[in-house]
Amino acid sequence: MSDDADTPGRMGLEQVTRRLYDPAGDVALVTEIVYALADARNVSPTDLTSPTLYECVDVESLEATLFDGKEGPSSRRGSGTVTFQYADYVVTVWSDGWIEVSESSTTETEAESDRS
Amino acid sequence: MPEDTPSGGSKPDAVSISVSQSGWAPRTVLELDHVYEALGHKRRRYLCYTLLESTQWSPTELAAKVAAYENGCLESAVTTDQRKRVSTSLAHVHVPKLADEDVIRFDGTDEMIRPGPNARQVLLALEGMEASVDSEREEHTRSEIDDDEA
Repeated sequence: MSDDADTPGRMGLEQVTRRLYDPAGDVALVTEIVYALADARNVSPTDLTSPTLYECVDVESLEATLFDGKEGPSSRRGSGTVTFQYADYVVTVWSDGWIEVSESSTTETEAESDRS
Repeated sequence: MPEDTPSGGSKPDAVSISVSQSGWAPRTVLELDHVYEALGHKRRRYLCYTLLESTQWSPTELAAKVAAYENGCLESAVTTDQRKRVSTSLAHVHVPKLADEDVIRFDGTDEMIRPGPNARQVLLALEGMEASVDSEREEHTRSEIDDDEA
């Protein structure tokens, strides 16, 4: 992946779905991300088994960076986004809790197609 | 490295010498990374505890147990949504992580989770922590009794 992919207003990315994670809620961040990806793929979350999120990103570090993993007001809360690739999707987690799933079209799809 | 011994501290002759007494931490204990990684999350600690109860689990059974524990209810009272949410986090993070640390083995053919080569060490660490919590609680109770008597 080239560095231009990180510039704002990225070309070739089409948002498929988004979902709000509540750091103070009962549902884990990993669960919300998997549910968003399942929604993007139009499958049940329990059927989204491969690859595992563990193979794509360290969710615990991501959670600690953006949400500090603790309840209540915290000065250590990060701001900004973390973006990672999951299969054909690009997932962006915002520090306000929004999880965005985009489809990487053209460039990345072509780059992946030489696997076959 | 023998030079590692802090100045003024006497070199312990056994690993069992505690840090507070000698100011010297045993390398063998400090380097048990897989133990600390395995026990670094509440859901993984709970998973490791369940390994003490049985030698094999299906992911569904484990998810139901964890959800019951977290919601403070019986396994029979766990809703499908609660179980699915826990099951997702186990499948996508905690089970692969524990497998990576060789604490469990996940068999793809029969989809069962079994203890791995490092399970024993992790369970011993958990038991050690439990013993230390118990003794602290005992001490606390004793000091309360002393206070009452005073």
